[in-house]
Amino acid sequence: MAVFDTPEEAFGALRPVCVQLTKTQTVENVEHLQAQLQAVSDSALQELQQYILFPLRFTLKTPGPKRERLIQSVVECLTFVLSSTCVKEQVLLQELFSEISACLYSPKSQKPAAVSEELKLAVIQGLSTLMHSAYGDILLAFYEPSILPRLGFAVSLLLDLAEQEKSKQIKIAALKCLQVLLFQCDCQDHPRSLDELEQKQLGDLFASFLPGISMALARVITGDFKQGHGIIVSSLKTFYKTVSFIMADEQLERISKVQPKPAVEHRVAELMVHREAKWVKNTSDKLTILIKKIIECVSGHPHWKVRLALIELVEALLLKCSQSLVGSAGPLLKALVGLVNDESPEVQAQCSKVLRHFADQKVVVGNRAFADILSENLHSLATSLPRLMSSQDDQGKFSTLSLLLGYLKLLGPRVNFVLNSVTHLQRLSKALIQVLELDVTDIKVVEERCWNSGPLGASETAATQPRSPMQRRYFRFFTDERLFLLLQQVCQLLGFYGDVYLLIDHFMELYRESVVYRKQAAMILNELVAGAAGLEVENLHENHIKTSTEELREIVTSILEEYTSQENWYLTTCIESEEVGEELTMKQSGLQAITSGAHTCQVTSFPAFSKPSPTICSMNSNIWQICIQLEGIGRFAYALGKDFRLLLMTALYPVLEKAGDQTLLISQAATSAMMDICHTCGYYSLQHLINQNSDYLVNGISLNLRHLSLHPHTPKVLEVMLWNSDASLLPLVADVVQDVLATLDQFYDKRAASFVGVLHALLAALAQWFPDTDDLRQLQGESAGEAGSHLSQRPAASEKGLENTTTAEDMELFLLNYLKEKDVADGNVSDFDNEEEEQSDPPKVDESDTGPDVEPPLPVQIQIATDVMERCIHMLSDKNLKIRLKVLDVLNLCVVVLQSHKNQLLPLAHRAWPPLVHRLTNDDPLVVLRAFKKLNYQTFLSSVLPWQCAVTRPGAVSAGLTYPRRQVWRLSEKPVLQRHPAKAGWLLSHPSSCQCPGWPGILPHAGFQAAAGCSAGPGPPLRETGPR
Amino acid sequence: MEKMTAPPPNMAASPLPPPDPCFVLRGAQSAVHALHFFGGAQGQVHPLLLSGSLSGLVHIWSLQTRRAVATLDGHGGQCVTWLQTLPQGRQLLSQGRDLKLCLWDLAEGRNTVVDSVPLESMGFCRSSILAGGQERWMLAMPGRGNDEVQILEMPSKTSVCTLKPEADAKPGMPMCLELWQADSSPRPLLLAGYEDGSVALWDVSERKVCSRVACHTEPVMGFDFDSQKARGVSGSAEKALAVWSLDEQQALQVCRTHELTNPGIADVKIRPDRKILATAGWDHRVRVFHWRTMKPLAVLSFHSATIHCVAFATDGLLAAGSGDQRISIWSLYPISTDSSTPLLGHTEGGEVGAHASA
Repeated sequence: MAVFDTPEEAFGALRPVCVQLTKTQTVENVEHLQAQLQAVSDSALQELQQYILFPLRFTLKTPGPKRERLIQSVVECLTFVLSSTCVKEQVLLQELFSEISACLYSPKSQKPAAVSEELKLAVIQGLSTLMHSAYGDILLAFYEPSILPRLGFAVSLLLDLAEQEKSKQIKIAALKCLQVLLFQCDCQDHPRSLDELEQKQLGDLFASFLPGISMALARVITGDFKQGHGIIVSSLKTFYKTVSFIMADEQLERISKVQPKPAVEHRVAELMVHREAKWVKNTSDKLTILIKKIIECVSGHPHWKVRLALIELVEALLLKCSQSLVGSAGPLLKALVGLVNDESPEVQAQCSKVLRHFADQKVVVGNRAFADILSENLHSLATSLPRLMSSQDDQGKFSTLSLLLGYLKLLGPRVNFVLNSVTHLQRLSKALIQVLELDVTDIKVVEERCWNSGPLGASETAATQPRSPMQRRYFRFFTDERLFLLLQQVCQLLGFYGDVYLLIDHFMELYRESVVYRKQAAMILNELVAGAAGLEVENLHENHIKTSTEELREIVTSILEEYTSQENWYLTTCIESEEVGEELTMKQSGLQAITSGAHTCQVTSFPAFSKPSPTICSMNSNIWQICIQLEGIGRFAYALGKDFRLLLMTALYPVLEKAGDQTLLISQAATSAMMDICHTCGYYSLQHLINQNSDYLVNGISLNLRHLSLHPHTPKVLEVMLWNSDASLLPLVADVVQDVLATLDQFYDKRAASFVGVLHALLAALAQWFPDTDDLRQLQGESAGEAGSHLSQRPAASEKGLENTTTAEDMELFLLNYLKEKDVADGNVSDFDNEEEEQSDPPKVDESDTGPDVEPPLPVQIQIATDVMERCIHMLSDKNLKIRLKVLDVLNLCVVVLQSHKNQLLPLAHRAWPPLVHRLTNDDPLVVLRAFKKLNYQTFLSSVLPWQCAVTRPGAVSAGLTYPRRQVWRLSEKPVLQRHPAKAGWLLSHPSSCQCPGWPGILPHAGFQAAAGCSAGPGPPLRETGPR
Repeated sequence: MEKMTAPPPNMAASPLPPPDPCFVLRGAQSAVHALHFFGGAQGQVHPLLLSGSLSGLVHIWSLQTRRAVATLDGHGGQCVTWLQTLPQGRQLLSQGRDLKLCLWDLAEGRNTVVDSVPLESMGFCRSSILAGGQERWMLAMPGRGNDEVQILEMPSKTSVCTLKPEADAKPGMPMCLELWQADSSPRPLLLAGYEDGSVALWDVSERKVCSRVACHTEPVMGFDFDSQKARGVSGSAEKALAVWSLDEQQALQVCRTHELTNPGIADVKIRPDRKILATAGWDHRVRVFHWRTMKPLAVLSFHSATIHCVAFATDGLLAAGSGDQRISIWSLYPISTDSSTPLLGHTEGGEVGAHASA
């Protein structure tokens, strides 16, 4: 909203003010002028430019001391005029340039005059505006050799300001202005693109300033950290723009050998620089020193923008000056590479972008020099790595490893040049192994146990989850979690780019070489394979060919073989409690180990079959080794994807074996490895995995059972498998079960405990898989209780029975039944009952009765249960309390499974009776209680008791003499109890009546009550004497 | 329990414990009566193992995944006693006790019966084929008469001849057959083991017995013949193996007998590289012998029932099928590739069917 649009009007308005200013040069007048200028349009101002500038320049030129305030306002006014107008004449530009820059000139010293900061700022602004307001042609013409002294003055002035000033504002403004002067301003309108010749001319001119500029800026950059990141960023920018302009390969190519005669006077010509090879070499050497200094100082700068600027610097210099600054390439790449893993995502992203750009442009790979430099760097890093890893702190290690990672990323497939050198590979691996050493002093690792048997936990949702997180590890030489991630990445990259066979061979050798290296080597191997498969690796080199699946599978197969071999898989992880005889001595030595192990933590491995006392450390180490190997199996599964299915036949068995391990950590690791397998091989859950591959497992089990002393955990695997499978498994395991029983027969004394576990799992599984359709309801209650927790089991069915007797009807029924049963118990059995029983007999039983010689083959599960029950009878009297208890559980399950096959059940039940009675009469109270609980079982009672009752009757006894045993039972059973469903309740409420019919005097009355925990109810009168 | 009685050929004197099977195939669900390795000779494809069971099913096992890949049901629930693949095409012959020989097409995942030949003998005698690379091939199978062997030309099923022993010979039923062809002459020859324990060599074109030798006092249950060395080995229900040879005049003679611990050999096979042989024992054990010296090398005990059949793959794997419904796979004295390749190559080219039949 200019008031004066035309030059005439404006002239009219401005003339008095200008005249006034020319006459008396005061601040007020200048301000007056400036105020007037506000009202003049830009076009009018352009017309009157010279006129208006005159009084201002006059003011500046007037000799004699001037007040700073005045100069400042004059410069500001000048700046204002220049900002709205163009400078069209070269002379004007030159004069203005000199006049403005002279404002800060102090004749006394080299340094800028000690003037107020405001003035300095105004001058800087003025210069900057002046350069912007000049016409392009004029500006180019301005940069001719003759201007060199004046330009030099301004440049050094600005550098001084940037370096010496305290005010941030001034510093930044000075740096900006410097960029403007050097044609490197990044504002929109100022630098039009220059053609090659122009660039060269400018370069020639600016080359004179390069030493001064670079050194001053380097001083600024490497100066105080506290000066603020803005200044450093801006200095860095100025630095790399200037250097990359003057030292640009493009320009230097065109420099002729002979310096052309400059068309300027001698004094100025002396200032000129000819950028021939020698000069470039010298300058480059000096610059390299500066660049090194800068990188050293800046790469660890706390502010991310500074590091970002450093990346820009590297990019610009490497792209533009790759020839001229070849000496700096090393440090530059190192700086770049070191920032690959920066904590700031912006820096990281930019760095990867630049690296990718380099890779695309083949800056490194296409350029022999660079590749050589990088390889050399990697060589020297590999050489010093072991030393660095042992001497640096976490932060230092972090940056060293970041650097290593960056080299690997940048070199890509060329890593092999380094790896092919034996010494370097050795040094590299030594460093990795050294830094990855685990801390194995934690006792907790050894202590923690998992006790649950039963279906594997956390199984249902398994397959849907992504890769399970890794177990937390504690390393001896670092605590920072990020370091481990870095190390992982380093190994993955090595696996990805390096020669996998070479690396795997090398680390396998280390793995075998010493137990000290084994865990680390296994960790590295795991990551190498993951890397080789391209997992989690960002490929910067497009033409790199990944390891083929076929090769990968071979590699994985060989590693797996090593991992699961006898001496690496079966390690002592706990003090075995199985060998009862050795238990005491082992405990003692174990305690010693705890006390002594804390001091001298020497790690040694003890395969399971050698028996020196293991220390806590060695057990801890063994646990970790197994965990790492298990984790490796999970990684391999990921690496191979669906192809891993083929390896399941060898891998699944060992993993499952470890899933049943007592040590919590191992069992967790095994479970998560199995989850990984589920996830990659496309199984919904662990159950699905086990089920689908049970044939492989059964194979392993049956072969290992043949060498039980070498594979003591085999029963455990079968147990885990049984807990996690379904009825379809049975045909497969049938022969293995026979093997198990045969082996059990051989090792009753030594390994009974583990076998009883299997038998328990087996029978629980059978009870679950083949619920008896006759008593389905009842069985569900029982088997559920059984499978769930065999420790806190209560007969659900009888409980239910008790609850149901609350209604009046039930009461009546109960009483009627009670009376009837009382009669029955007393032996008064009517024939009517007998007939009714006959009719309700299931026809199946009749069939087997009619032709005992041609019985159909028994279902497999019945055959198994019969065989198992047979063994249980023997083991009921085992020395070991735990085994006796467990056998009672198994016995009960046998009865559940067999209940519909009375022909098999009853003879066995009768044989089981005497040892069971023995348990009830004189055994540990715990066993008595358990045995009695078994007794409570409806089925058991119904099978055993009636016969015992029957024996008491004279008729039955005679029958027992004439018929085979089975018939005896049939005769006796029918009239007595079988058809009375309420008898369980009855028996529960009348425990004392158990003893009356058949076995008077066998159960001591008091002991029985105590065991049962209930008082004698209103039972029938006890008959003290049997009919002997 | 028998321990290994002699060290393997190239090892020092310390006896090793008997080896375990590499793996065990489960799921045949009835006794295994016939085994035959198939494929894998070219080296690209993993070999398959075919098994015939008492319940009439033929299972095709992949040795890579160790699982049954297919089940063929073509014998109406009757025991499958013999399996043989034809050298050309993916065709399988199966002999069942339902009096049928079925020809299956297995190419490209097909599992269909393309042809069948009616059998007229109820016996246990396994058939044999003689097939070069040509379209036509020869099949020998037990004939209508009690002691006859019938020769058919396939695939036309035209009867070539019936080989009937002379009236006074009375060798009983044929128990096992093997058709072969000497390298020197194109005339097909048939070796047959008879119920009376004798082994006879028939000249098929002349329909006469060239030679006959009594090897056993019990029926011959199985034999295998090494045509290069002109030597054969037979097992019977008795406690001995007989090794016999064939001289230039085509006369059979017993070289030696080898006494066994337990009686009853159900099957005998010589490995394609002619280094070792394996016997299927009624005593639940596989015995391995050195073929040249007949030195006992190993007693493989794993099975819990009679072993009905053994088979060797071209790469040296040994399979044993047993009444306990399992098939055990063993890897013994691996064939070293460099020395035996020409041998193997010759076997494949010359007489593919020779070692898997009998």
